Amino acid sequence: MNGEGMPEKDRKIKVWDLPTRIFHWSLVTCVAIGLVTGFLSPEWWMGVHTWAGYTTVVLVVFRLVWGIFGSEYSRIETFAFTPAEIFAHIREVAFLKPRHFTGHNPAGAMMIFALIFLLFGITVSGLMVLGGEENQGPLAGAANYAIGDIAASVHTLLTIILMVLVVLHVIGVFIETKLGGENLVLSMITGFKRLPPGEKTPTPRDAHPLAATVMLVAFSTIAGSVLWAFSTMPPSGLINLPENKTYASECGDCHEVYHPSLLPAASWTQLMGGLSKHFGEDASLGQKTAINITAYLATNAAEAWDTEAANRFRNIDPAAPFQITATRYWVRKHDEVDGDVFKRKGVGGKSHCASCHKDAATGRFDDQYINIPNK
Amino acid sequence: MKHITPLIVAAALIAGFIAAPAAANPARDAIVAGFKAEAQAADSGFAGFSADRGRAIFENPHTGGEPEIPSCTTCHGKTPFGSGETRTGKKIDPMAVSKNPERYTDPEKVAKWFRRNCNTVLGRECTPQEKGDYLTFMMSQ
Repeated sequence: MNGEGMPEKDRKIKVWDLPTRIFHWSLVTCVAIGLVTGFLSPEWWMGVHTWAGYTTVVLVVFRLVWGIFGSEYSRIETFAFTPAEIFAHIREVAFLKPRHFTGHNPAGAMMIFALIFLLFGITVSGLMVLGGEENQGPLAGAANYAIGDIAASVHTLLTIILMVLVVLHVIGVFIETKLGGENLVLSMITGFKRLPPGEKTPTPRDAHPLAATVMLVAFSTIAGSVLWAFSTMPPSGLINLPENKTYASECGDCHEVYHPSLLPAASWTQLMGGLSKHFGEDASLGQKTAINITAYLATNAAEAWDTEAANRFRNIDPAAPFQITATRYWVRKHDEVDGDVFKRKGVGGKSHCASCHKDAATGRFDDQYINIPNK
Repeated sequence: MKHITPLIVAAALIAGFIAAPAAANPARDAIVAGFKAEAQAADSGFAGFSADRGRAIFENPHTGGEPEIPSCTTCHGKTPFGSGETRTGKKIDPMAVSKNPERYTDPEKVAKWFRRNCNTVLGRECTPQEKGDYLTFMMSQ
C-alpha cells in the first residue's frame, strides 16, 4: 500500500493539500503587502493596504472552513492539542529531541491559532479605522472618529505582536527543520513530508470540497449582507455643506477656498475680525459681506464635522491660531514631504491643499486622493 | 463749414478709437468723474489727472506698508499688460483696460481694492488724486 514496499527512509506522505498550500503562501503575500503598505509606503497606497486586508479576511475564513472540511492534516482537530501535550512538546524541544509529528506539532499549532486570532483582530480593527478615521468602507457610517482612533492604536499594537510572531514562526520552522531533518519550507511547497522509520503509515482522510464550498458561500452571504447593511448608513461626521458663493469669490480671489472644517469656529471668527491685517495684507470686507462669511465659517467649522481633518485641525497652534499649516498635525503629516515639493510649479506652496489633495474641496482628504504633481 | 463739423467729429471719434482702443465705458467714466469731484473738493488747485503720475504709483516702490509687498508690481507683474500672481499663487488678470475691458467698471470693487491694496502697499488710504491718476494710467494702457 502507501509506500510499504519502499526502503524505510524514502517513505513519503502527502501532508498539506493544495488549498492549504495556496492558502499559506497567499497569506504570506497578503501580510507582506499589508506590512509594507502600512509602514513604508506613502499614504496613497492605502487602497492596496485595504485590499490586502479584505483578502486576508477571506483567506482566514477559508482556513477555518478548511479546518473542518479539508484533508486530514488541514483539519483543526488534528492539531488541537491538550496542554499536557503542548508542555511535553516544549520540554522535548528544549532537550533537542522532539517527537515526530506528521502534521503540525503543538508549537506550530499554537502559532496557527495565535496568528488567526491576531489577523482577525487586525482586520476588524483595520475596518474600524477605515470607517472611523477615513469615513470609508462598510463601517463609514457605523464607526465615528473616536472609535476609529482607538481602533488605530489596537490595529498598530496587534500588528507589532503579529510581526514578533512571524519572526518566531520562521525561527520555529528553522529549529524544527534542523532537529527533525525535514525541510518544512519545501514541504509547504510540495505538500510532502517524510515518514520516519518505524512510524506506522497513516490513512489520512480526504477533503470534502463541496461541503467546504457550501459553507464558504453561506458564510460569505451572511457576512457580506451584514457589511452591506452597515455600508448603507451614510458616512458619519460629514454634514451637508451649503454652497456659499460670497465666501468662494471673496476669499477665493486671493487664495484657495479652504474647507470650513479645517479650523475651529473660534479661529474663523478671530480671523474674520482681523481681515485688515490678514497675513500681512489688508483683506478687509464690507460689513455685510464679513458677517455673512463669518457666520458661514463658524457654523460649518471643524466642530460641526467628525472627519479626520476636522478632528486634527481642531488642535490649533496658539501662536498662529488661524494658520492651518502651523498646526502640529499639519507639520507632522507633511514632515516626510521634501521642502522642494512645495516649490514645484504644480504645487505652488504649502497653502495649496488642492494641488496634491485632489478632494480638498470636500474636506475629506482621503489618502487615496493624494497625488503630488512631479513638476 | 456746416458740412465740415460732422466730419471733424467723426474723424475725432475714429482717431479716438484708434488712439484709445480701450472703449470708453460709462460706468468707468463715472468712477473717474467721482474721483475728480472728490479731488476738486479736497484741493481747489486740482489740475486734472495724469497718466504719468499713475504710472509712477504703479511702478515705484513704496514704504509704509507691508515690507514684503513694496509695490503694485510685486503682485500685479511688471507691466499692466501681463498677469500677476498673489503671494499664495493665485493668478491676477492684467490691469490694463486694453487687456481687460471689464476692469474698473464696478464701483464697489474699485473701492474695495483701492482700500485694501493702498493700505497694504502704502500703509494708508490713497487720495482721490492718486486714484484718478492710477485709473487714467490704466485706461491709457
